Amino acid sequence: MKISFRTALGAVAAGVSLLALTACGGSTESGANAADAKTVEITHKQGTTKVPVNPETVYTFDLGVLDSMNALGLEADGVPETNYPESLAKYNDAKVTKIGSMKEPDFEAISNGNPDLIIITGRTSGSYAELSKIAPTVDLSVDATNPLESFKEQAGKIGKIFDVETKVDEQLAALDTKITDTKAKSANAGKGLIIMTSGGELTAYGAGSRFGLIHDVLGVATVADIKSEGAHGESISFEFLKTNNPDTLYVVDRDSAMGTAGEASKAVLDNELVKSTNAAKNEKIVNLDSNAWYMIGYGLNNTNKMIDEVAAGL
Amino acid sequence: MSAPVLPETVAADEIPAAAVRRTRKISETTWLVLGSAGVLGLAFASLFVGVSDVTLPQLLSGDAEAWELLWISRLPRTLAVLLAGTAVAVAGLIMQLMVRNRFVEPSTVGTVESATLGILVVTVALPAAPMILKMGVASVFALGGTALFLAVLSRLPVRNTLLVPIVGIMLGGVIGSVTTFFAYKYDLLQTLSNWMIGDFSGVLRGRYELLWIVAILTVIGYVAADRFTVAGLGADFTTNLGLNHKAIMRLGLVLVSLISAVVVTTVGAVPFLGLIVPNIVSLLFGDNLRRAVPWTALFGAGFVLVCDVIGRTIRYPYEVPVGMVMSVLGATVFLALLLRTRKSHG
Repeated sequence: MKISFRTALGAVAAGVSLLALTACGGSTESGANAADAKTVEITHKQGTTKVPVNPETVYTFDLGVLDSMNALGLEADGVPETNYPESLAKYNDAKVTKIGSMKEPDFEAISNGNPDLIIITGRTSGSYAELSKIAPTVDLSVDATNPLESFKEQAGKIGKIFDVETKVDEQLAALDTKITDTKAKSANAGKGLIIMTSGGELTAYGAGSRFGLIHDVLGVATVADIKSEGAHGESISFEFLKTNNPDTLYVVDRDSAMGTAGEASKAVLDNELVKSTNAAKNEKIVNLDSNAWYMIGYGLNNTNKMIDEVAAGL
Repeated sequence: MSAPVLPETVAADEIPAAAVRRTRKISETTWLVLGSAGVLGLAFASLFVGVSDVTLPQLLSGDAEAWELLWISRLPRTLAVLLAGTAVAVAGLIMQLMVRNRFVEPSTVGTVESATLGILVVTVALPAAPMILKMGVASVFALGGTALFLAVLSRLPVRNTLLVPIVGIMLGGVIGSVTTFFAYKYDLLQTLSNWMIGDFSGVLRGRYELLWIVAILTVIGYVAADRFTVAGLGADFTTNLGLNHKAIMRLGLVLVSLISAVVVTTVGAVPFLGLIVPNIVSLLFGDNLRRAVPWTALFGAGFVLVCDVIGRTIRYPYEVPVGMVMSVLGATVFLALLLRTRKSHG
């Protein structure tokens, strides 16, 4: 219902802009950028924005969006300053415009770059108002409580903006097949627990969290009803691991995601309490690629990779 | 010149109270024993607080799994809490004696911030460095930061009660901002917060033993306690008593810095403790140094223990870091103390 409404809205918008185009064909606004003036209305988390179709200069702060663009053969012109993992290594190049950190936009650099479109997500969603003053800005955050649907919507919007909707649909369909296959495997795989190690301490994540894909989408059963609404999980002790005794333990090593392995998760988890869990006994401690899970997140390539990792551990 | 002269010198300073002291001493020893028994009882009770099942009947019936949990997880945690609590409180007391000011402690004069900067530097430069190396670098930075504070202090034209902690907090702020800047630059802000908020949730057998270093340091602090009082009275005064002022200040500097560095690297910063505990002890028992050290150690251990047990139970089965609980409780107690001090002065 929602989607069809949006499609209708999009159609109306397209119609209106077409009318407008024909209407002001000879007026002062005129001809020179008639081709550029083709726009599409994108309804997103913080409103509706008129976006030029196939914009020339695109800035984005989200590595997931960047990953999707990669998968669609597109390139961003401005990206945040960070240490890019292998799959996005081309953005490490100093020649690519850097538009701030992953959380803090560098407004001056963005303004100087004169982008046609800025794509933001959760980490930078607070800067929406300021960024909107510089260029059309869309907030394509993925909603952690409904990650798959939300991600598909995001991908759909990217497809619409860059006019590659069929490509997006194909890739999403392939993803769906993969998810169905993995779900079939996870049904008999026992209970799983997702933890992150950082500085020798543990935090646990449940369904609906930033790593909730494992439970919410791939159907891995949970050992405990962990309500981690914030981005940083619940602080737990090693006894929590022992007592809840997961059959599979999914580990995100935050320190190595940041490129400074403070204490690698393997060392942190090398103790008697962890060894007493089913996960350790059956060698089902899955070390998730922290770049994929922590840095990039949902993206057309990366989501495939994340699912593969979970499937391999089942 | 020789060391044993000192206690007598200080005792002589208190001749009017000498008679009172003798009679009081007996009852106070009793109190101290009772207090220790109380903290030990609390420590014993804390052994049975946790996510897994460890109960007294299980232990008595020789349940192997319960005993194992006790050795691997419960006892190390309780010991770590006691060691860190004792040492940080005593370090606070030493700091206060050295600069003759009740409102300073390692986490308000830049020692803890410097130690953290040290860990950050190692983490960035040598990510795979072993714990002991991190501790060493943290200690060197802590020494530098504390020395800087003392140097700034000695150049101050006026040394009133409020100026000293303000200078300390400013200095800590400057060092802290440098740390934050580099943590930000290297995407380590969240890792930094792990160090800045004390947390015992990761303590297990094999992961806390370096804390025993602070036990030794605390004992040295106890033995040398009187000297710090004397040194706090100034270089001339100390020299007149036949003591080496510089040597005492150096010893204090090393003790405070090492204790802070070791605690920050193993469990994270424990704020307010070194401030509140010596102040409470001084309110309750007066300013006699030798008496204050055991009480400070006892109160320090007890306070951290209570906070850690609260942190373990308040969101059971998840944990709230002890540093967080302590900041809330500690800030309240500290405010109450400040208001009280002002009233008695005004």
